[in-house]
Amino acid sequence: MSEVQSTPRRGTRSAAAGSARARLQPVDIVLRRARWFQWVRRASLALSLLVVVGLPLWQLRVAGAASGGLSAGGGWSWLAAALGLPPVPPPAVGAPAAVSLFGLELLDPLLTLGVAITHGLRGSLLLVALPALVLVAVLGRFFCGWVCPYVPLLAASNALRWVLGRFGFKPLDVRLPRRTSLVVLVAVLGATAVLGTQVAPLVYPPSIIGREAFRAIFFGSFGAGALVLGAAFAVDSFVSRAGFCRSLCPGGALFSLLSTASPIRVKRDASRCTDCTVCDVVCNLGQKPMSDRLDAGCERCGKCVSACPTGALALGVRAPAVEKT
Amino acid sequence: MTDRRALLAALAAAAAATLLPRRVHASGTGVRPPGALPPGQFEEACIGCFRCAEVCPPKAIRFPSALSLDAVHPFIAARQTACVLCMKCTLVCPTDALAPVAAQPAAIASSVRMGVPLLKRDACLPWSGRGLCRLCYYVCPYAGTAVELVGPRLAPLFHPEACVGCGLCEEACPDEANAIRIRSPAEVAEARG
Repeated sequence: MSEVQSTPRRGTRSAAAGSARARLQPVDIVLRRARWFQWVRRASLALSLLVVVGLPLWQLRVAGAASGGLSAGGGWSWLAAALGLPPVPPPAVGAPAAVSLFGLELLDPLLTLGVAITHGLRGSLLLVALPALVLVAVLGRFFCGWVCPYVPLLAASNALRWVLGRFGFKPLDVRLPRRTSLVVLVAVLGATAVLGTQVAPLVYPPSIIGREAFRAIFFGSFGAGALVLGAAFAVDSFVSRAGFCRSLCPGGALFSLLSTASPIRVKRDASRCTDCTVCDVVCNLGQKPMSDRLDAGCERCGKCVSACPTGALALGVRAPAVEKT
Repeated sequence: MTDRRALLAALAAAAAATLLPRRVHASGTGVRPPGALPPGQFEEACIGCFRCAEVCPPKAIRFPSALSLDAVHPFIAARQTACVLCMKCTLVCPTDALAPVAAQPAAIASSVRMGVPLLKRDACLPWSGRGLCRLCYYVCPYAGTAVELVGPRLAPLFHPEACVGCGLCEEACPDEANAIRIRSPAEVAEARG
């Protein structure tokens, strides 16, 4: 192995004496004080919403064209017709939890695990699950910050918390430990095994949002999944900031577990840090970049990096810390 | 390294979960889309991703709106909208809960068994002597084998072993008769005891 020896940066890693780390120097993705980075993330989230809403609309248009306008009405078909989408099948199908994008299958690891438990790793399941697993292993829990269609609802709940605070009703902020989500994950998978049917899609927001959006667009109605979403929104708004995402979501728990080896981390340059706590405050998931206390629950959204007024934080790529005891 | 320990614990828990006894075997009684695994196995493999429903041209595939274990499983209510046997849904399933079926009459006839028709003869117009309807026969993609006309009144006689269960007959049956209902394999098994 002969890695390129990059020069150490500003002494952020002072004298990394370990053998593995000395050979593979960390590299910074320099985003110091970069606001544009957050616009890239918002664009990614917007694309995710476009998939959730746009694909069913497009399929409605295809169905309407195939029937010569005789049927396939109802729901939002008027909108599909008004948008003038081409009446050929779209290059993607599904929602972010299980999407086929230009032929590339991206299946949520939580759903994969559920099927593996009840039905076994039959047929092409592993093959279908692999691209998403590789993405998570490299990028960590990025789904929660970059793709999950629940994020707009979370933003709305944070806005509601702010408004309530302005009017003097400060909402509760119960800090359940992140470990609680592991308990939920084990409970969901256990129930899946005992009941012999998939439980995760009933309680996992990305899955619910996709199905409910489809139902609304195709049939103009809501199902009971909307109640689960409402409950998650209520928890986030009135009980605990991002409490559902941080300490209840089974998918988030699984992403955290799978991302332990992810080489992308938030790094702090202690010589620039003024201990202003801005990074700790902007984090939805209760990470503490200011005191270097980040764990696998970090969703790599980079909000702390963009918000840091002195540019002390950066996203860094480094070899997995295997030598650490 | 609590995360690594937690990962190992979770993997152990997942392995243990596969060994847990399955007392309940949730299987809804709805008519599943074509190419579906047998009842029970379908509910194991389906993740409720709704891709099958999204690509369905007549919008025949729906989801239960009530909160239940069956809420994520697609079903076809033929009385409202029947399957047109285009087989598009069988090509998009990520977990193979719906196995691909070629959109050819012979392939469909040999591998698709969505359900079997149940005819109430006292409600059927020809059988009860109230008219010469024959709509079910005319809409049936397998007319002649799945359904034939018998007797002086040309009344429909269904042959479940040749029927794919698309439900076009149930959809076409006049409201004043409403004599045909497609029963899913799960429902048939339940009725058999």
